[in-house]
Amino acid sequence: MNKRKQGAATRTTRRGRAAKTPGAETEHKSASGTFAVAAECTVADAGTLKSGLAKLLDDTGVVTLDIGSVQRIDTAGLQVIATFVRERESLGRQVEWRGAAPSLAAAAKLLGLSSLLKLPTPAARAVETAS
Amino acid sequence: MTIDLTQFHDAFFEESFEALDSMEAALLKLDIGAPEPELINTIFRVAHSIKGGSATFGFSDIASFTHSCETLLDELRSGGMQVSLDISDLLLKTVDVMRAMLRSTQSKQPLDMQRVSDIQFDVELMIAQKNAAGPGNAPAKPAAVAPVAVAPPPAPARAPEPVSVAATPMVAAVAKHWEISFRPYRELFARGNDPLRMMRELAELGELKVEVDTSALPAFAALDAQSCYLAWKLELAGDVTEDAIKQVFEWAEGDCDLDLRLVGAETTAAPVVAAATASAPAEVAASNIVADAILSGNTSPLGIPSPPLGVPSLTAQSLAARSPAAEEPKHEPSAPAAAAAAPTAAAPTLTAVPSAKQDASIGAVGDSGSIRVSVEKIDELMNTVGELVITQAMLSQLGAVLEGTNAEKLRAGLAQLERNTRELQESVMRVRMLPISFVFSRFPRMVRDIAQRLGKQIDLKLTGEQTELDKTVLEKIGDPLVHLVRNSIDHGIEMPDVRIAAGKGAAGTVHLDACHRGGNIAVEVSDDGGGLDKDRILAKARQRGLVGQNDVLTDEQIHDLIFLPGFSTAEKTTDLSGRGVGMDVVRRNVKELGGKIELRSERGKGSRFIITLPLTLAIVDGQSVAVGSETYIIPLISIVESMRLKETSISRLSGHNEVFSFRGDYLPIIRLHELFGVEPRARALHEGLVVIAEGDGRRVGLFVDDLLGQQQVVIKSLEANYGHVEGVSGATILGDGSVALILDVAGIIHAASMRATERPATERSAKEPPAGAREAPVGAAA
Repeated sequence: MNKRKQGAATRTTRRGRAAKTPGAETEHKSASGTFAVAAECTVADAGTLKSGLAKLLDDTGVVTLDIGSVQRIDTAGLQVIATFVRERESLGRQVEWRGAAPSLAAAAKLLGLSSLLKLPTPAARAVETAS
Repeated sequence: MTIDLTQFHDAFFEESFEALDSMEAALLKLDIGAPEPELINTIFRVAHSIKGGSATFGFSDIASFTHSCETLLDELRSGGMQVSLDISDLLLKTVDVMRAMLRSTQSKQPLDMQRVSDIQFDVELMIAQKNAAGPGNAPAKPAAVAPVAVAPPPAPARAPEPVSVAATPMVAAVAKHWEISFRPYRELFARGNDPLRMMRELAELGELKVEVDTSALPAFAALDAQSCYLAWKLELAGDVTEDAIKQVFEWAEGDCDLDLRLVGAETTAAPVVAAATASAPAEVAASNIVADAILSGNTSPLGIPSPPLGVPSLTAQSLAARSPAAEEPKHEPSAPAAAAAAPTAAAPTLTAVPSAKQDASIGAVGDSGSIRVSVEKIDELMNTVGELVITQAMLSQLGAVLEGTNAEKLRAGLAQLERNTRELQESVMRVRMLPISFVFSRFPRMVRDIAQRLGKQIDLKLTGEQTELDKTVLEKIGDPLVHLVRNSIDHGIEMPDVRIAAGKGAAGTVHLDACHRGGNIAVEVSDDGGGLDKDRILAKARQRGLVGQNDVLTDEQIHDLIFLPGFSTAEKTTDLSGRGVGMDVVRRNVKELGGKIELRSERGKGSRFIITLPLTLAIVDGQSVAVGSETYIIPLISIVESMRLKETSISRLSGHNEVFSFRGDYLPIIRLHELFGVEPRARALHEGLVVIAEGDGRRVGLFVDDLLGQQQVVIKSLEANYGHVEGVSGATILGDGSVALILDVAGIIHAASMRATERPATERSAKEPPAGAREAPVGAAA
C-alpha cells in the first residue's frame, strides 16, 4: 500500500515535474523548500506525507508545494496539508503552490478547505502566465 | 501505519449485493417513457456507490464497468436520454454483470470478461448513439444540470463579482434546506470512511454549502495523520429526502455525530430556490462554498470544463474570526441563518446515533435498520432457549406435585417463568424470521425474462410479501417456488391468441401469495391459465402402469400423479399441456421442510399450488401419544383427526393387513407398537385409539394406546447426534426429562409398506398372492 513512499518523501528542487503545467511558477522564489506532493495522498499515505512536510515546517523561507502530480487525494491527505498550511501561516511563514491538481482542488472545495489552503484560482493563474 | 482494507471487503460485498437487488427492483418498477425521478436516482446511487466502493478497494474492473453504467444513468437522470425498453433491458443486464463481477472478485474466481466487455460496449454504444443522434440535444445537458452544477462556465468570467457580493448573507435564498452537522469521530478514516466521498454524494443530491470546522486540528507535530479532526456544517438545498441524506452517511454510522435539521420548510421567503440559483450563479458562487457536481464533471462524456478553483476569501475571514476555543458547533456558526429560520420552530431534529436508523427506516427501500449476526450465534441462542424450555417444563412438573405452604408461591413463580420462557422463545424465533419478500423479490425479473422468451404476456401479482418465516425455511423454499412459477408460465398460461380465443384477457396472471394460517405459513402459486388436463394425465398414468386400467381416481388423486417421480419427464417429452417438470423434486423439498403441497386445478380456469410450511424448523407443534411405556410426538400438521375405532369398521385383508373405513375410504392401519417393537397396553384395535395421519399424500391410521396432549416441542436432530432412522424425524426432551421421538408420518408409511412386502416372503407361504398384500396399503391410501 505504501509503494509510493519513496517518491512522496523526497525533497526536490527539480522543476521537471511542474514544467508540464502551464501555470508553473517562475523561478524567482528561493528554492529553499519545494516539496513534491506524491500522486497518491490517501489515508494510507497520509503518514508519509506528514513526515515529509514536517521537515519543512520550520523552514524560514518560502515553502513551495508542488501538487502537479497529485492524482488521488482524500480527506486524510488534505487534512495533513491543511494543518501544515495553517501552521505555517500562524507562524507568519509563506506557502506557495506550484502546478495544478484538479482532484486536490475539487476535494478542497467539497471539504470547505479551499480558502484555508488559498489555492490559486484558474483565473489568477491565467493572469500569472500571461504576465 | 497502514490500514488493511481487506477487512472491509465483506461488508462491501454484502452491501453491494443488497444494493444491486434494490437496483434491480427499481429497474423493474421503471415505467418506460415516464420514469419516476426518484427511482432513477435510486438506481444511480447504487451504481455510484458500487463504483466508489470498488475504486476504494482497488477493484478497477468493477469501477470501470460501473462507471459506464453511471454515465448512462446520469444521462437518464438529467433527461438527456429517455428510458426505453432497450435501455432498461440493458441496465438489467448490467446488474447481472455487476453481480457476477462482484461475486467473482469475492470468491477470487475467474470471470467471463468477454461478457463484461460486451455489455460495457453496449452501454457505451448506447451513450454514443445518443450523442451522435442528437447533437442539438447534447449541449442542452449542462444547462439541465445547471441548478446543481452552479453553471461552472460563467463563474470564472465574473470572477471579481462574487467578492463584492460575498458580504451578503444567503438568507434570501434559504427556502427549504437541510442543515447537517457532521462531526466525525477520530477513527472515521481508520474505518474506511472518507468525508470527501460523502460530500461528493451530497453535492449530487442538491446544492451543497460546506463550512469546515478546523478548531479541533492540533498543531502539526501533534497531528495523527490517520485521525479525523475536521468537522463540518453543511447546508443542503433542494428537494432531498432525509433517507437520501442518511444513506450518504450510512457507512459512517457509529463513527460520527450526525445532526440533520430541516429548516425553512414553510417560510415564504423564496420558494423557488432552484430557479434563483440557476439564474443568478454569481450570488450562489458567493456563498461560503458552493459544491458543484464535480463528479458529474469528471464522468461526463462531454467534458464539462473544470470547475472554478478556490473561492473568495469570505470563508477564510469567517474562519479566522471564529475563536477556535469558544466553539459551540451545533448553533453558533450559523446564528443568522438559525435566527432567520426561527419562525419554523417545529423544524424536526434528528440525531443519528448508532441506533437511530431503526426509527427512521419506515418505508425505506429495502433499508431496514439492522445488525448482521451470524446464523450460528442465533442457532446457539435458539438451542439454549430450547434447553431452558425443557428445564422449565421439568420444574413445572416437579412444582405441580409439591405440597406445603411455599408450594403455592413456587407455582406462581413457575407460572411466571413459563410465561417469560415462552416470550423469550418467541423473541428468539422472531430474530430468525425474515419476510418472504426476500424470496419473492427475485420473481419480477424472472417472470419478465421467461415471458419475453416465450412470447407470453404475464402479470405477476405478489401479495403477503411481509409474511415472515424462518430463515432456514426461507432459503429452502426459494427453489421449489421458482419451479412452480416457471411451470405456471411455461405450461399454465396460454399464448395470447389462445387466451383471447378462450375469452380471457391476453395477459395471464401469476399470483404469488403468502399468509399465516394457524401455526403454519401458506404460500400459494396460482395462475389463470389452462389448468391440468386430467384425462391426459390419467391416460398417461394408465399407459405407464401407474394406475390400473379400471381404477377410478378422484380429482385429487389424479392431481397427485404429477408429483410422482418420472411421471413429470414423460409429460415433458410428450409435450402435453399439463405440468410436471420435476414436480417430485418440489414435493420432496417441501416435505423436507416438514410441509406439504396441495394442488387445485380447474380445466380452462387455472391451477393453484398451495404449500403449507411450518414457521420454523426448530420447534414443532406436536401431539404426544402413548404406546406402551413410550411417548411419541406426531407433528400436528400431519394429523387429520383421531378416533376410537368400532369393531365393525375394521376389515382384515389378506395376511396381517388391516384397514378401516373412514368417510368412504379404506385406510390401512399401522400399529406403532409393532413398528417400533414396543410392548403395548392394548392390542385389540377398539381398545386403543387411531390417529389418522397424512404423509406424502397418503392417509393411514396410526394405532396408539392413548393421546397424551398437545405441546410445542423443541426438535433435536437425530442425524446430528446419532443417525437417520426411518420414520423418525427427530427427538425431543419431555418435561420429565425423558426422550420422545418425533414421528415422520411419510417415513412410517414407507417403512410399514416395506414390512408388508417382506412379510409374505418370510412369514407366509405363497398361498396368498403377494402382489395383493403389497397393493393393499398403497393402493387404498393413494
